[in-house]
Amino acid sequence: MNRTARAISAALLAVAVGVGVLPASAGPASAASYIPITGTGSTWSQNALDQWRKNVAANYGMTVNYSGVGSSAGRRDFIAGTVDFAVSEIPFQSSPEDGSAPEIPPRGYAYMPIVAGGTAFMYNLKISGKRVTNLRLSGEVITKIFTGAITKWNDPAVQKDNPGLAMPDKTITPVVRSDGSGTSAQFTLWMSKQFPGIWKAGLRSQFPTPPGGKAQNGSLGVAGYVSQDYGEGAITYVEYSYALKSGFPVAKVLNAQGYYIEPTANSVAVALLSAGINSDLTQNLDNVYSSGDKRAYPLSSYSYMIIPTEVGGIFTEEKGATLGAFTRYMLCEGQQQAPALGYSPLPMNLVQAGSDQIKRIPGAGSQGIDFTSCNNPTFKAGDSPSSNRLASSAPQPADCDKVGTSQCTTGTAGATQETPVSGTGTGGKANTSPDAGASGGDTGGEVQYDENGTPIGGGVTGASAVSKPFTVEDQGMGPTQWLMVAAGGLFFAAVLLPPFLSRRMRESAKK
Amino acid sequence: MSDTLLEAPPAPASAPRGARRTTVPDRVGETGERRRLHRATFEERFDLIGAAAAGLATSTLLFGWIAPLTGVVGWIVVSYLAFLGYYVLLTALVGDRQRIADRVATVLLVSAGAILFGALVFVVVFALLRGRDAFWHLNFFTQSMELAGPLDPLTEGGILHAIVGTLIQITIALAITIPLGIATAVFLNEVGGRFARFVRTIVDAMTALPSIVAGLFIYAAVIQLVTHQRSGFAAALAITVMMLPIVIRAADVVLRLVPGNLREASYALGAGRWRTVWGVVLPTARSGLVTAVILGTARGIGETSPVLLTSGVTAVLSFNPFSGPMISLPLQVFDFVRSPEPTMIARGFGTAAVLLMLVLVLFGIARVIGGRPPGQLSPRQQQRAQEASRRDADRMARRAAPVTASSTAPSESPAPVPHEKADPS
Amino acid sequence: MTGRSHVVERIMLVGDPASPRVLGTRPSLADSVFRRTAYAAGAITVSVMLAVGLFLTLRATDALRVAGFGFLTEQQWSPETGHFGVAAVLFGTVTIGLVALCTALPLALGTALLLSEVARGRLRSTLVALVDLMAAVPSIVFGLWGVFFLQDNVIPVARWISTYFWWIPIFDVTDDSGATLTEDSAFTSSAFIAGIVVGLMIVPTMTSVMREAFSQAPIGEREGALALGATRWGMIRTVVLPFGRGGIIGGTMLGLGRALGETIAVYMIISPIFTINWQLLKSGSNSVSALIALRYGEASDFALSALMAAGLVLFLVTLVINFTASSIVARSRSGAQSEG
Repeated sequence: MNRTARAISAALLAVAVGVGVLPASAGPASAASYIPITGTGSTWSQNALDQWRKNVAANYGMTVNYSGVGSSAGRRDFIAGTVDFAVSEIPFQSSPEDGSAPEIPPRGYAYMPIVAGGTAFMYNLKISGKRVTNLRLSGEVITKIFTGAITKWNDPAVQKDNPGLAMPDKTITPVVRSDGSGTSAQFTLWMSKQFPGIWKAGLRSQFPTPPGGKAQNGSLGVAGYVSQDYGEGAITYVEYSYALKSGFPVAKVLNAQGYYIEPTANSVAVALLSAGINSDLTQNLDNVYSSGDKRAYPLSSYSYMIIPTEVGGIFTEEKGATLGAFTRYMLCEGQQQAPALGYSPLPMNLVQAGSDQIKRIPGAGSQGIDFTSCNNPTFKAGDSPSSNRLASSAPQPADCDKVGTSQCTTGTAGATQETPVSGTGTGGKANTSPDAGASGGDTGGEVQYDENGTPIGGGVTGASAVSKPFTVEDQGMGPTQWLMVAAGGLFFAAVLLPPFLSRRMRESAKK
Repeated sequence: MSDTLLEAPPAPASAPRGARRTTVPDRVGETGERRRLHRATFEERFDLIGAAAAGLATSTLLFGWIAPLTGVVGWIVVSYLAFLGYYVLLTALVGDRQRIADRVATVLLVSAGAILFGALVFVVVFALLRGRDAFWHLNFFTQSMELAGPLDPLTEGGILHAIVGTLIQITIALAITIPLGIATAVFLNEVGGRFARFVRTIVDAMTALPSIVAGLFIYAAVIQLVTHQRSGFAAALAITVMMLPIVIRAADVVLRLVPGNLREASYALGAGRWRTVWGVVLPTARSGLVTAVILGTARGIGETSPVLLTSGVTAVLSFNPFSGPMISLPLQVFDFVRSPEPTMIARGFGTAAVLLMLVLVLFGIARVIGGRPPGQLSPRQQQRAQEASRRDADRMARRAAPVTASSTAPSESPAPVPHEKADPS
Repeated sequence: MTGRSHVVERIMLVGDPASPRVLGTRPSLADSVFRRTAYAAGAITVSVMLAVGLFLTLRATDALRVAGFGFLTEQQWSPETGHFGVAAVLFGTVTIGLVALCTALPLALGTALLLSEVARGRLRSTLVALVDLMAAVPSIVFGLWGVFFLQDNVIPVARWISTYFWWIPIFDVTDDSGATLTEDSAFTSSAFIAGIVVGLMIVPTMTSVMREAFSQAPIGEREGALALGATRWGMIRTVVLPFGRGGIIGGTMLGLGRALGETIAVYMIISPIFTINWQLLKSGSNSVSALIALRYGEASDFALSALMAAGLVLFLVTLVINFTASSIVARSRSGAQSEG
């Protein structure tokens, strides 16, 4: 019953799409003729691709296999011709740093943007036993934290970003990805462009562990580390969705217009409106980092799908028809679910760029995307890249998010509770971000504790939170300790002596 | 081993003093208590319970009042140590050093077992608890993930494709490993020679082959050079490369344990090598060989790293191991738990639980088929053996008839032919 | 089982009283087929294994040519700059392996003896099945358990050890300047935790092999020992353990092999570092297979070659360990039957 209903609705949808979104491919790519296609690559984009794969399977009967094995492995697979497409955050490396052979695919290829997202900084920090949910950081401070130049939360530079918080004297534990990842690549690319003086390692998908830092594997690993009890004082870079799902806050990052911005879907999409595309189709994010829009989140980026423009390897023209239909779906309908998946929808300029590349896929038809019927949430029919729905409707940042002496107390990401003002600055309320999850983290205790777990009366000011490492040796041996030892000795004597004596007595009695 | 109950030697006090030569101890007077090897006496139980109570009390006392100690783990450790101490003391009240060693050793063995099973059961329960949300939906077993994405609830999608993939891959791997592995182990033990020593060295070395290297090897040698795509068959090959040395080595150990006099008896009866191997060595070692295969399977079925590079990831049910990706359960777990979505993580743990269940069923079957140790026959097997020996006797009698002219009637009750040849006693 | 009638037949044939018996081997057809098949099986196995070894070596040469002998002494791992070596990684592998063995050996030995000597009847068969089952618990489950449960609970223990046993160098936890660290984050992701998890993982395998060996101890000697008045432990010590020594070592080596090669669980727990860390309890360790799993995804061809070289070195190390073990096993009494 249910199944029939679903089948019927799927068929209806397929028809609707065949008429609406995919008029160009209606000929060769009818639902029945889809051939399974396979891709590998970025783990960063996997969540989105999993959802899209399901959607096209349910609605159009398309089979798409995607395996998140890592961007470089994806590029290698593409060169070897063992996959139909690959997904990567960085383009083919024409001159790899280690001097190995340049990555040159034997067949034609093109880069197509598929999904955007911001690099979020999830942290676990408490002031007087209360979770901080409104931390703000400037780009330079972030770079210094992840290079080991700033090691304490009460560093003046961190304090300056957070006038409303009395930063504790606690060590910062930067947690980085131990495996190669697109998140690392995006983060290091941003640092190498923005702060080349502090970050000298260039773009690295393998993040070098900073001194005093921890390296953990996978997004789950880094997010898991930060969210544990022992993760207090830790900060990591991770997809926004992990912070959202695990009930932890993310740092607001200072943009070029002097606002601290949370990496919501909208703020990333707004930033990417300024994305440029180089002549070789690779991304140019310089304008994104210094976007003129005060709503823009600076660490915004997108990942590419590497699509073949020639038949070869296991790729055929029939597969091209499937790939074409799939990519059209991704750029339009698929972007609807991006925010729910923790990404951000691609803005119009990038969809246009992608549309041009779809036309080059053999067998995909000569038309790209029909912008009048594309169901992308960032624009509607008749919009242009310079004036579209996103640009006009994305919410403006609150005044308390501006650089200055005020700091919004509203929570971020998964942690929705407010953080009371504890510093010298003033508080303020931001409009609650629309996509912050309902899953609140902890609600904060009634009693306030200092770092060693001793209850204190509250009223902490600026630098009064003093760190006192837990030590055992300094107790020394006073009279009390000697008494304890004596008591212990007596106790054991009372236990041990009777059996020993009885035995002795028995043996002597035998003799 | 039979339930051995032995009489203790008579107490030395009852032996005549001064008699220096060996005599048959007379049973006059006091005879010691019957020694019980396998059941604890009331007294022993009392000792145990008493020591446990005292241990708990002591550590609670220490933690609560006397010493500045804290923490649950510390409390458990101190309790246990105190328990051991008290137990030694209590045993020392009545027994000699031998007895103390015996009792303490028994307690230690039981504790080792308890810790191990406790920890392992806890790991499994942890997986089951985290996966229980996914586990209780029937669709989890009957659907693939083709029509379910990260945002879909647990009532949609399942891991049928991974179950099928695992079964196909492990079947292919076993189809190669069992004959090849056991034949090689037999070669090492029964044929021998310089080459066999070389083979053994190589196999020994390979048992420690990192499983990820097995995957890398298949990836570069098979996928990149031959098939040009990830497939279930490639994954099965990677599992085979990893399992083969484990099976050979474990089988080798068991075959070496087959008593030499059984082999000699067989040869002495005129059997050839092949007959000896097939009729004596393999049946004797059967239970051990099953264990060897099970160990290999256990490793092959639960290891993620060899399939990480070779099988590819898919959400679609596939029955063809030679074309297209085919996911297996451990890789599916790995894939699920990387997702930020709580539903996917729950599915991951659910998948791990299913993997455990699957392994349980497979092992149950394996134990039923081959687990009975040699010499222990089921009633029906016993009956069959008796029939066979009767037939043999008949035939021998018939064959003997022409030679000895004045033959007795062949239908006379036959002389018993020993059949439980593997009984080590 | 069907061969029995044949056995009897052959006795009748050989026993020709007229001519003297020829004491040579005249293999029958079945025997020569069997011999050839066994040889072929051995040869196939060896060729598969050699192919892996050869392939590892071939793929590793690129990297080894660049790194040279320094591959064994260099601690850093950065093929991009040409500075890479396995010193730190291998050290971490061995550390984790040793911690795992220290955890696993007493547990496995105790459990194997418990199963073969103490437990009986239904309880025994249930526990034996349970051990086999546990051997199949996917390593990723152990990894998740280690990260999300064990780590949190082991930290106080690690801290306790380092507080009271800091004078043993491997239990000290200090930072670069030598100051003692006591905060939680200093104890996370350590070789100690990874070793415990891997140890638990290899116990079932070891137990299985050991139990199998123990249960083969000759019943005549067991009963003899008991009849002479030995306690159960005395019997175990004098009969079962010496007899099962081959099994103990074989099982331990099998376990060590798995511990050294364990990938996923280690990969999830440790925080990889590329310096030799003598402090067991301190955060940060590494292992060759975790390194391969971590790096293959983003590795270029050359980096992949370097990873292969690391795999090769690990392989050679285990080779040496296994050689030692095999020679001990070969000298043990396992497999000999009861004398007399």
